[in-house]
Amino acid sequence: MKKSLSFIFACLLLFTTATQADSGNSIYLAHIPLLTQHNKPAALDMYRGHPVLISMFYGSCPDVCPLLIMGMQGYERQLDATSQKNLRTLVVSFDAARDTPAQLQAIATMHHTDGRYWMFASADEINARTLAALLGIQYRHKPDGTFDHSVLITLLDSDGKIIASTSKLNGDGAFIAALRKATASHPANSSEMYSSPP
Amino acid sequence: MRVLHINRYHYIAALLGVLLVLATSLIATAASDVNAFVRIEGSTAFHSVLQASQPVQIKSFWLQQHPVTNAEYLVFVKAHPQWRRDNVAAVFAGHGYLAHWQSSTETGPGASAQHPVTQVSWFAAQAYCESIDARLPTWYEWELVAAASETAKDARNDAAWRQRILDWYAKPGNTALDNVMQNPANNYGVHDMHGLIWEWVLDFNSLIDSTQTQNLCGGGALTLQQKENFAILMHVAMLSSLHGSDTTRTLGFRCARDMSP
Repeated sequence: MKKSLSFIFACLLLFTTATQADSGNSIYLAHIPLLTQHNKPAALDMYRGHPVLISMFYGSCPDVCPLLIMGMQGYERQLDATSQKNLRTLVVSFDAARDTPAQLQAIATMHHTDGRYWMFASADEINARTLAALLGIQYRHKPDGTFDHSVLITLLDSDGKIIASTSKLNGDGAFIAALRKATASHPANSSEMYSSPP
Repeated sequence: MRVLHINRYHYIAALLGVLLVLATSLIATAASDVNAFVRIEGSTAFHSVLQASQPVQIKSFWLQQHPVTNAEYLVFVKAHPQWRRDNVAAVFAGHGYLAHWQSSTETGPGASAQHPVTQVSWFAAQAYCESIDARLPTWYEWELVAAASETAKDARNDAAWRQRILDWYAKPGNTALDNVMQNPANNYGVHDMHGLIWEWVLDFNSLIDSTQTQNLCGGGALTLQQKENFAILMHVAMLSSLHGSDTTRTLGFRCARDMSP
C-alpha cells in the first residue's frame, strides 16, 4: 500500500514537472502590451485558448509585407470552415511610430481580413524587440525609415507554445499539416465528445 | 571624586555620532560595490560598421562602468526567484543558464563574485536591467563606447590598439574569466569593453545573419564596413547567430539608461 502510494506520488511529481516544463515554453510568459487596430490596449495572449498564427511586419513596407499578409491568409484557406473558426491570426508591427491604430485598420480593410479572427496591433520598441526575440525574427531600422526584416510565420498552440514556423509564404506542406492538426484538435471541438447521447 | 555626569543630551549626541560614522561607512561600501553608470556623450558623426553611407545618431546615455558581476546577478536572482536557474521558463533561457554556479542561489568557486556573470540569456539580461530601471544598450551605443581606447574616444584607426584587442580574441576560449575592472578604463571611464567577455545588446536581433538573406524584406543582410575592425565584426557575427534564450560561457552584459529629458 505504502509502495503504491509513493509510486502514485512519483507519477504525480513527474506529471507536474512535465507540465511545468511544457508551460515554460509558452511565449505568453512574456508580458507584452500591444495597441490594436481598434486603438485598444491588448496583451500578447489576447487569443489564449485558440491556436494562433503570428508574425511581425511594418505597414509601410512596399513589397514583401503585403505578400506576408496574403501568405497568412493563404495558409488560413488551407483549413476547412470549422478549423478556420478555431484559428486566430495576430500580426504585430514593430513600427509603432508610423503604424498607428488608424493605419493598421486601413491595412486590415485593404486585405479584407475577418475581424472576428484577425487582429493587427503594434508594440513599442523594447516590447517589439522582445517579441521578435521570442519568435526568432530579426529586424533592423534603416536610416531611410524602412526596415530590413526576416519573414517568418509562426504557429502557436492554445497556450502560446511554438508548434511550427515557416519562412515560405505559401506551399510549406509540413507547416500546413501542423496547422490542420492544431486547429482540428482545438478544445472548442472537443466539447462535442462529452455531450450525452440522445 | 569627580563624577562623570552624563546627561541625556550627551547620550543623544554620542548616539548620533555613532550613527553618522555607521552611515558614512555604509555609503562608502555601497559606493565601492555599485556598478556605477557613466555618462556617455552622444554623437551625430559616429560611423558604425553597420552603416557606411552616413553617420548614425546616438543620443547621450548612461552606461555601466563594468559588466554585471556574479555578485550583482546573485542579488537579482534572490529578489526575483523566477530567474533562478531551477525556476526559469525554458522560453527565456536554455539549459546552460547559470550552469556554472554552484546552486540556484550560490555562485560558488566556479563563478567568483567579481567575475562578470556569463551564461545568461538575452531575456535574463534585459530583465536584470529592467529591475534596476535600466535596459540593455543598443548596438550603436555599445559600439560607440567600444571604439574608445584609454586616450581617444575613437581609436579605431589606431593599429596598435586594434592589435591588442585581436590578441585577446586569439586567446583560447577555455581561459578562465578574470575579475572586472582589472584593466584601465577607456576614455569614457568605462572598463572591459574588450578583453573580458562578449556582451548582449538590446537589439541583438537587428544584426541580421547573412544566412537569412533569402527570407528578407528589404535590402538584405548587413554590408559590413571597416574590414580592418575585425574584433567588432566578430562581435556582430557572434550576436547575429544567437537566439534570445541562448547562453554561452563568455557572453555577459551591462546595462544602459536613457538621459532623463
